[in-house]
Amino acid sequence: MRREPAAETARRGARASRGTSFEAEALPCLDAVYRFALRLTGSETEAEDLTQETFLKAHRSWGQYTSGTRVKSWLFTICRNTFLRDRARSRRHREIVAERSRGADSGDAVQPVWATGEMPPDAAFFTSLVDDSVLEEIARLDEDFRVPLLLSDVEGLTYAEIAEVTEVPVGTVKSRLFRARRRLQEALYAYAVESGFLRPGARASDGPKEAT
Amino acid sequence: MTLFGFLRRLFGVRSEAEPMISCEEALAVVHEYLDGELDASQHERVRAHFDVCARCYPGLQAEEAFRAVVRRAEEGCTAPPELRERVLAALAAVGEY
Repeated sequence: MRREPAAETARRGARASRGTSFEAEALPCLDAVYRFALRLTGSETEAEDLTQETFLKAHRSWGQYTSGTRVKSWLFTICRNTFLRDRARSRRHREIVAERSRGADSGDAVQPVWATGEMPPDAAFFTSLVDDSVLEEIARLDEDFRVPLLLSDVEGLTYAEIAEVTEVPVGTVKSRLFRARRRLQEALYAYAVESGFLRPGARASDGPKEAT
Repeated sequence: MTLFGFLRRLFGVRSEAEPMISCEEALAVVHEYLDGELDASQHERVRAHFDVCARCYPGLQAEEAFRAVVRRAEEGCTAPPELRERVLAALAAVGEY
């Protein structure tokens, strides 16, 4: 029987170890990457394709992954880059981002809507919301606002990590994130009032709007 | 909130060591506070305010509830089981599994 050369054995060992490490570290992020892909594409089919491509690329580049950085954040970067390239809209997208940044990101500090007195602080109101209506309103946010919101509030990335994924300065991340939360709170409140679940200025615990 | 914080709010006790920051100062960094982006000393000063401020506390609770509902809604969205199989098959096809 021919003995396997030592170099080949070492290569096989390295491949196996690389595969094991990828499987253990990257694959648990599948749900998070799919969710991110779904929010980028807005389509389940496209999100599945994008997720698969992200994992294949990540696997190919696993040697470049620096241990110590969060693997989820690294996968989001690959996912977003792939999305932008696949849509062949990278250049235009960046132009749109730059245009929006000039207007949307320069402004005062953005506080939660309850801090401004426009809406009463009401934890019960948010807790009572139906998931579908929350998802619907999140989907309505502009991509520039939706992505930081998801990366922060759902995936737990830091401002610096979001800045790296989205390729904008940390200050811009903060501005977009705070605005996203504010817009979503306003939208959810308006939705509840329009649907008759809430009277304007009332709290959820005050009961539903009376029929007129 | 800690038990100590609760008692401090209940009795309106303030720390003598550091002057309490105002509601406006605390609210200006409420996002960074909840996101864990303040340094330890800033975080402690803001926490000390929210621990004893009856005016700010309902808002803080509302903000936490808002974030929880966003997380709950989104986390309900998971990859279809067949996608996991598909990804594993694609990785196997490139010879690593």
